[in-house]
Amino acid sequence: MAYSEKLIDHYENPRNIGSLDKSADDVGTGLVGAPACGDVMKLQIKVGPDGLIEDAKFKTFGCGSAIASSSLVTEWVKGKTIDEAEAIKNTDIAKHLALPPVKIHCSVLAEDAIKAAIADYRAKATRKDDKAAE
Amino acid sequence: MDHFARLGLPAALDLDAAALDRAYFALQRQWHPDRFVSRGPEERARASAEAASLNEAYRTLKDPLSRAFYMASRAGVEMPGDGKTIDDPELLMEAMEAREALHEAGTVEAVDALAAEARRGVQKALAGLASLFLANDRAAIRKALLRLRYLDKFAEEARARRMNIERSNA
Repeated sequence: MAYSEKLIDHYENPRNIGSLDKSADDVGTGLVGAPACGDVMKLQIKVGPDGLIEDAKFKTFGCGSAIASSSLVTEWVKGKTIDEAEAIKNTDIAKHLALPPVKIHCSVLAEDAIKAAIADYRAKATRKDDKAAE
Repeated sequence: MDHFARLGLPAALDLDAAALDRAYFALQRQWHPDRFVSRGPEERARASAEAASLNEAYRTLKDPLSRAFYMASRAGVEMPGDGKTIDDPELLMEAMEAREALHEAGTVEAVDALAAEARRGVQKALAGLASLFLANDRAAIRKALLRLRYLDKFAEEARARRMNIERSNA
């Protein structure tokens, strides 16, 4: 199977591997898995006071396509608002990396991971607002 | 026909491996194509279909994990298929930490220790499944099987990691 240059580049030189402080109020963490292939993916975002995503990190145990998909997403979301980041579709990821059909599910995992990270960030922000209102 | 019924065995998670082998080899002889060479095309086709189903039943039931998955599907437990994701934080955190530990294991001994721990986890989870099947607790069966799938994947990764370390030591 021939993989695209972009995919190989993200796999061989993954961007933004690592972790952010899970307990920080401005960090959202998404942890998702694809049980059919045993992949697990953690994707984190750090949102600045201006509402823009200022940092993103990931850690993925899975195939090369899953690693490349999560690496690409962390690169894409930086500098975006969370609404913009939430609009990222797995089809955009799959297209950019030219994922073969059998690897499309890896891009689904990355889309679900960023959505989960955003949901976690929002839940934290809501809790903080509730506290402030008390 | 149900895989267990095909082999004339009770539908149990703790299937007797020797009884399974005996049932399989006896039926395999019964449906062996060599015994049907002089028969008509219909009978030959039937025998080869029976032999194929028999092989599939044996393959499915022989491995305890695959047997557990088969029993779950018989019990109507829906497992996420290809391309479906899960977000169970407890399970995924455990899987993530195990894979990180494996990634950091630098010696064959360290990898073997992690693999042995995972094997104990598999044995324990399989032992716990029997009562879940008896109670027909589908949600708990699903949860246990998802965990087993990750443990199984871990075992596969541990074998690969072990080979890599051995190769780089050679």
